[in-house]
This record gives sequence, structure tokens and C-alpha cells, in this order.
Amino acid sequence: MPGVLHLLPYFVAAWLFFCGLYGLVTSKHLVHSVMCLAILQSSTYILLLGIGYRIGGAAPIFADIAPGKLTVDPIVQALMLTDVVVEAVVIALLLAMVVKAHERSGTVSPDELRTLRG
Amino acid sequence: MRDTTRKRVFLFFGSVFFLLFCYATVNLPPWGSYRGPYGDVISRVGVYERHATDVVNAINYDYRAFDTLGEEFILFSAVLGVMMLLRHEEGEDTREVGKVEDRMHLSMTVRALAMPAILLTVVFGFDIGLHGQLTPGGGFQGGVILASALFLLYVCENTESFRRITSHSLVESIEAVGAGSYALIGLSPLIAGLPFLTNILPLGTTGDVFSSGTIALISACVGLEVTAAFLLVGYTYLEEIITGQVPEE
Amino acid sequence: MNAPSFLTPLPVAVPLVGAALMACLRKWLSRAAADSIGILFSGATLAISSLLLLRAIHGPSVYWLGYWFPRGSMALGIGLVAEPIGAGLAVLAATLTFLALVFSWRLVNSGSNHFQPLMLIFLAAMSGFSLTVDIFNLFVFFELMSTAAFALCGLKTEEPAPLQGSFNFAVTNTIAAFLILTGVGLLYAVTGALNMAQIGLALGSRHDPLILFAFTLLICGFFIKAAIVPFHLWLPDAHAVAPTPVCVLFSGLMVQLGLFAVARLRFLVFGQTFAHHESQLRAILIALGTLTVIIGGLMCYAEHHLKRMLAFSTISHSGIMLLALAMGTPLGFAAMMTYLIAHAFIKSSLFFCCGILLHRLRAVGERTLFAKGKTLHWTAGVWFLGAFGLAAAPPFLTMMGEAGISKAAEDLGLSWLSWVCFFGGVFTSAAVLRVGMHTFLGWGTEPITDEAAEIGELPETPGEDQRIFWYQYVPAAVMIAVPIFLVAEPRWLAVLRDASAAFTQQSAMLHLVYTGTSVEAHLPAWTEALLSSSIRGIGAFVVAGCLACTSVFRLKLRRWFRVGAFLESGIRPLRAMQSGHPGDYVLWLTIGLACVSGAAMVWLRSAV
Repeated sequence: MPGVLHLLPYFVAAWLFFCGLYGLVTSKHLVHSVMCLAILQSSTYILLLGIGYRIGGAAPIFADIAPGKLTVDPIVQALMLTDVVVEAVVIALLLAMVVKAHERSGTVSPDELRTLRG
Repeated sequence: MRDTTRKRVFLFFGSVFFLLFCYATVNLPPWGSYRGPYGDVISRVGVYERHATDVVNAINYDYRAFDTLGEEFILFSAVLGVMMLLRHEEGEDTREVGKVEDRMHLSMTVRALAMPAILLTVVFGFDIGLHGQLTPGGGFQGGVILASALFLLYVCENTESFRRITSHSLVESIEAVGAGSYALIGLSPLIAGLPFLTNILPLGTTGDVFSSGTIALISACVGLEVTAAFLLVGYTYLEEIITGQVPEE
Repeated sequence: MNAPSFLTPLPVAVPLVGAALMACLRKWLSRAAADSIGILFSGATLAISSLLLLRAIHGPSVYWLGYWFPRGSMALGIGLVAEPIGAGLAVLAATLTFLALVFSWRLVNSGSNHFQPLMLIFLAAMSGFSLTVDIFNLFVFFELMSTAAFALCGLKTEEPAPLQGSFNFAVTNTIAAFLILTGVGLLYAVTGALNMAQIGLALGSRHDPLILFAFTLLICGFFIKAAIVPFHLWLPDAHAVAPTPVCVLFSGLMVQLGLFAVARLRFLVFGQTFAHHESQLRAILIALGTLTVIIGGLMCYAEHHLKRMLAFSTISHSGIMLLALAMGTPLGFAAMMTYLIAHAFIKSSLFFCCGILLHRLRAVGERTLFAKGKTLHWTAGVWFLGAFGLAAAPPFLTMMGEAGISKAAEDLGLSWLSWVCFFGGVFTSAAVLRVGMHTFLGWGTEPITDEAAEIGELPETPGEDQRIFWYQYVPAAVMIAVPIFLVAEPRWLAVLRDASAAFTQQSAMLHLVYTGTSVEAHLPAWTEALLSSSIRGIGAFVVAGCLACTSVFRLKLRRWFRVGAFLESGIRPLRAMQSGHPGDYVLWLTIGLACVSGAAMVWLRSAV
């Protein structure tokens, strides 16, 4: 089914998004929740890179190819690559919150940490 | 809400969202046939206009440098956040959160290979970081590699050596200098009446390391900042978790 | 063509340089030095933004960063637009940050001087967010705003309550960022552009399912930030854990910037997309807005933790602003902006009062504070004036905003909307009044309390000196005086109206972005609605007062009259929703996402 193959990366991105949300909703451990956010992040990357791909296109590095040759889209790559490094540190921030929560209340389960009801 | 209820309700609404997502993407251009003009135009002119063969980095540090400035400061504020969260309050007792045996009995092979590996990584990091305008690489990637060289030090040697380097008060200042200089480099064209973040340095010859003007310079500053940022995060975590006490600020 | 001002990128660049400087010297700076640098930089940003605003009023301009001008219709670089609405929001951001830093002078625990650089970064992000006209840049500043906010929430680390709140905040807002990024990616795939004007031009009036889905992803992401039901659950938790100056920024501006972004997208990017489906889109947004106002109002009254109560009141007022935006007309947008500005000032003055109470009386729970504030006359005065303002009563700017909303609603035949605003005003004002009566006047019997209020909050200032300093009074006083002053001086309102008219016209904005020339647009004043609004406002305050009295004097009333007390104990399902469990919050987020995208894809489709 060539039609579906043409859209497969986008379906994968949608599926990853769904999985990430599912993990967040059913999580029993805060570190697991943070990793589900990383899955959501991957979903957006797959979507972006899938959008920018061109079959038969070279990498947009003109060190060894002549300028003007058909390349894949450099814009989405530029958007993404800073994001990867930055999100790693933002996840570190979230994990620091988890560490602190564990230290103060001795647990990392969201069910047991409910001190802010209503 | 009970767990099973939560799961069931989510499965219903989540599937609705997933199906709508898939339904919407049917209208996307088929995968592998990127059409948009933006990327192609920059691919075509980036080399000539900026003498940078790595168009992705030309975009990051020149065409869309403002975005990268914002992203760099996201990293910066995340590190500030980690340091603030895991800080040691004045007058607080130090907590013993389980000390780890600091004297690791590593085999001779590992310790013999450690130093060369670290040296190789550092050289590799500098290579990647400084050649960002020519080949894939640049500040972000080079910075991460350099930081990992120091983490190799932690893995191969004991924590003392790692702490000695990363607890130095200069690491924080280096990070701030890296971040601030990006903004200052951006502000300098304002003196000449040009817009913020214009590339005003001489562009050099394509293919040379000292080419593409401010792209290389900004890339180096970002590399400085990212290295210091990862070292700070690593140090703060290690102090909090492994050694069980955070020294006075 | 209006020459772009060199000041345009400075509201972003200057605070960032300041933050880097302070972080560099952090270990060697004394508390006073760090605070002074922070105040200096935010004050400088305030001055720069004000000059930029004056320039923008005189003649809006577009500023292309990096000297990359558009080629044809393709924008190569990132553009910033200096027009009155965006520049005005940048000024508001700088004002709030400046006053918040003044308030926290040497007293509020600054986490070894980490707090001030983060506030400056937050300011830079809000300024950039208001000025940019590039959609990925909008996303980057959204993320910067969010990350600085998460970091700021981590200031008070001594209790378990904070981390749960900031974790919920971080998880929901990160999901929002990813939703926005997905939407940006989809739009980029369709149009090959990242500049909002270019996307708007390329989209034209296309509205196949892809465009609609991208639209819902983007607005849902921004609605999470704007605390619209059912995406609102993170806000009260975040407010309960953030220190007071940070709460000022959250409730005063950060939340409302989400609505501003939705407006920017709606009018510039999707300007012609909904040309034939105006009423359906309006219906969806009105449904969300009404739900937000009602739930926000009811939960606001049921809260006894002062900051959570004010957070729910922010949610309710955010709903009112969404109702204004939902009208889709220039008048609606102008009303939204008026209300936004008014609410920012009033809410921040209430939060400053909260901060004074926390400093002086060392508590934020209503029962703990009972009758302890009898000596705080000035604070009481500001607090009750704030209640007056929340009810949208006459001397306050909120009344003018509400008048605009009712006029816009009437024009579209939806006059029942002003009663929704009335409801919101009544409940939020009643809650503030009730707390005021209990704390400052000591009336009635001991207040009802709830779990969150019992846990309370640790004070954020050292306990040795509990005098209230002038620099704690001044921000509160200034913030409450400004809305009154702004009503007395209505010339700026004409500027706002004309700027709104230009903002909502896609062609005017396209003209501005591509050619740098502004198009004259005009919106007439809504003076006819003022009288009925004033009456409604005063009525809302009176009803609020009665409701508060039934709560305060509940033991002296017969059972049927104890309406207030009944509402105070909360409505079970609503309280259950606000469970504090991140899984629940994400679940409600998904439900909202599925419903909004389903509604959009079904009702806004081409098949007319």
C-alpha cells in the first residue's frame, strides 16, 4: 500500500505521542513520567524530520558536494538540533524536582505524593 | 480517580485524538517529497552569502540566530533551576543519603585506557566544536562531547578528581560568560546601525576554519556555555545524590 | 515606510545580558548588590519598552533581525513587529517584573541569588513573546518562559507540597510546548514558511482537516498556558508553591500571554481560514470560555488558601478574556486587551497584599489568618479595592473591558454573555471580600478551611523583622491605583482601539510585516455600553458582598440562607478534578484535546 507507506512516519509520530500520553496518565513513578515526556519529544522530532525529508536528497553540508545539488531540508534540522540538547537539560530540571520530592517525602509515586488536593 | 477508570477513559479519548491526528496527516505532502521553498532557498544561497558549508549551522547562528539565543538561554535557566532546586540552605544539616564507596577498585586496563580516552575525547570535542561552520557539529554538539570527557573522568577515576575540576567557582562564571557573550555579540552590530545579530565579522574563504564571520564565534561561545552547563548539572546531581552533602555556596 | 527602531530587540537582549552578568558574579555579589542589579536591568528594560511603545504608537514598524530582509514573499530571517499591542504587553511585563523585584528587595529568600537572573530571563521571554512575528520564535520564547517559570517555582524547597505543584506545572506545560511544536511543524509542512505573515498569506482560506488539526493543536497548547478549562488544573498548584513575586508574574501576565498568542494566530495566520465558519468557531470558543468562567468562579469561592483562591480567580477572568476573544471582532479583541491590562494590575496588587500578609502574619490559610490583620489598614484598603475591581465595578478599568465585551456580544446577538461575566465577577469578588472580612475586619465566626489551606505555606521572608517596608507597600498601591488612573485618562484607550482594529485585520498586518508601513484603522468607542456595565458592576459587587456575608455570618443565619457556606465547602466533582495527581491532569488535558479537535474537525470543515 504505497499510500500508507508515504504517511508512515507521520503515523509513527502520532502513535508515539499517544504512547507518551498513555505513559504519563498511567505512571506509577515520577521518573517514568519524565521519561514519557522524552517520548513525546521524540514524537515531535520524527514529525519534523519526516516533513523535511527528500528522497534522493543529500545532507545539506556543502563541504564535499557542489552548492545547488538537491538536499534535504536544512531548516527542520536546524530547528531540531538545538532542541535536543536543550530538552536534555530541561529533563534534568524535572528530574531534580523528582529527586527533591523523594528526599522530602520519601516516595516517588504520584499516588502517594498527593498533598495538594482540592 | 481509580487507576482502571483513568486508563479506560484515557484509552477512549486518546484513541480519538490519535485517529484524528492520523486523519489530518493524510493531507500532508507524501513523505520524501519536501516541497517548501524556505529550505531550498537557503541551501542554494547559504554557501555564497555566508561562506559556510554547513548550512544547518548557518541557519542556527545566522539566519535564525535569535531562536538559538532563546534556546541557549532555556538551557541556561534550566541549569539555574537545577542549582537552585538542589542547593544547600544556610544552616541546614547535611544529609547522609547513603554514601557510595569512593575508592573504586578499577582494573589496571581501565585506568590505563582512561587518560588516552579522555584526551581523545577532548580533542574530538574541540574538533567538532570549532568546525561547526564547515561540517556537522558546532557549539552544542562540541560542548556535549567536551562535557562527556569530564564525565569519563568521573567514571574512570574516583569522584574526587571530578569534583575538584567541576566544583571550581569559575565553571559557573564560564557558563554565564558563554551565554552573555552570545547576547553581546548580537548587540555589537547595533553600534554600527545594523540590526541585532547581524553577521559583521569578515567572512573569510569558504572551507577555512576562520570563515563565516560571527557564526564561528557564536558557535564557540555556545560550546563554552554548553560544556559548563553540563558540568554544573553533573556536579550538582553528584553532590546531592552520591556524596550526600552539598557544600556551602 | 516607518523606519524600524533600534530599540526593538532590546527588551529581549538587555534582560538576557543582565541575567548572564548576575549569574557570572553570583557567588561574589551580596544580596543587596544582586537585587540592585536586577532592579536596574528591569528598570532599564521598562524604559526601553516604554520608548518602543511610544515609537510604535507613532508609527508601527517591522524589524528584521540579522539584516535578513524578505525576498519577495519569502521571509528569510526572523522578524519582530513593534506595534502598540505587542509593545504594550512588553511594557506590562517590564512593569510587573520591576515591581516584583522591588517587592522582594532583600527579604524574599532568593535561593543564593539564583532568583534575580531567572526573573530577568522570564522578563526577556515575555517581551520576545509579545514582539515576535515568527511562529517558531514564538515557540522558543514560550519554552523559555515555561522553563524560567519551572525554575522559579523551585525556590521554596523546604516542603513536599512545592515539588508536587511544580512537577504538575512542568509536565502540563511541557506537553503544551510539544503540542505547539507539532502544530508549527504541520503548518511548516503545508506552507514551507515559519513567518506568521507568510503562512497566513500561503494558507489563504484553505481549511482541510490538516489545517484545522494544526489550528487545534496550536490553540490547545496555548490554552494550557492560558489555564482554560479543562487545561487549567496546573495553575492553582503552581501558585501554591511559587513565591509571591513569581505569582504576580504568573497571574498578571504569563497566563494571559497564552490568549494573546491565540489572538495573534487567529487573526494573522488563520485570518481567512474561518471566513465561512465564524459562528461555529465562536461557539466552540464560547463554550470553553463559559465553562472556564463558571468552574473558575465556583472553585475560587471554595478555596481557603489565599494564593490558590487568587489562582482560581485568574482562571475565571482568563475565561472572561477568552469570551471576549471568541467574538472574533475588533471590538471583542479591544475589550480583551483592556480587560487584560486591568486584570494584570488588580491581580498583582492582590498578590502583593498576599505577600505582605505572608511576611507579617506568616500564613496564607484563611483560618490561620482569622482576625489577625486588624492592624493592617493600608493592606486592607488595597485588598477591598481589589475586590471592587474584580467585580468590574465603575472606577476600575475592568468595567470598561466588560463594557466592551457586552457591546461586542450584543452586536452578535449573544447578550447572555454579559451575565456569564457577571457570574465570574460575583464569585471572584465574593471570595476576596470574604477573606478580607475574616482577616482584616475579624467579622463572623472562624472560617471553614480545607486541606490545602491547612498545609499552608512556609513564609518566604526571614522572621526577625516583621515590619512592613515601604517597598512592599508601594507595588501594591501602585498596581491598584493604575487601573483607576487609566480610566480617568481615556486618551490611550483610543490608541488601543485603533491598534486592535489594525491587529485584527490580516491585510493590515501583512502590509506591516512586508512593507513596514502601517494601515490606518479605526474602531469607535463603546460608550453606549458603559452605563449598563457600571450598573452591572456595582450590582456584582453588592451581590458578592451579600454572598460573602452569608459565609462570614453563617452561624447567625438560618439554614436556608447559608448559601455562602454551602458553596465554600466546594462541589465534590470539581474538587475531585483538582486531585494533584499528574496522571489526572494529563487525562483531563487529553479529554480536552480530543473534544476540541473533534469539534473543530467536525464543525469547521469545508463541507458547507
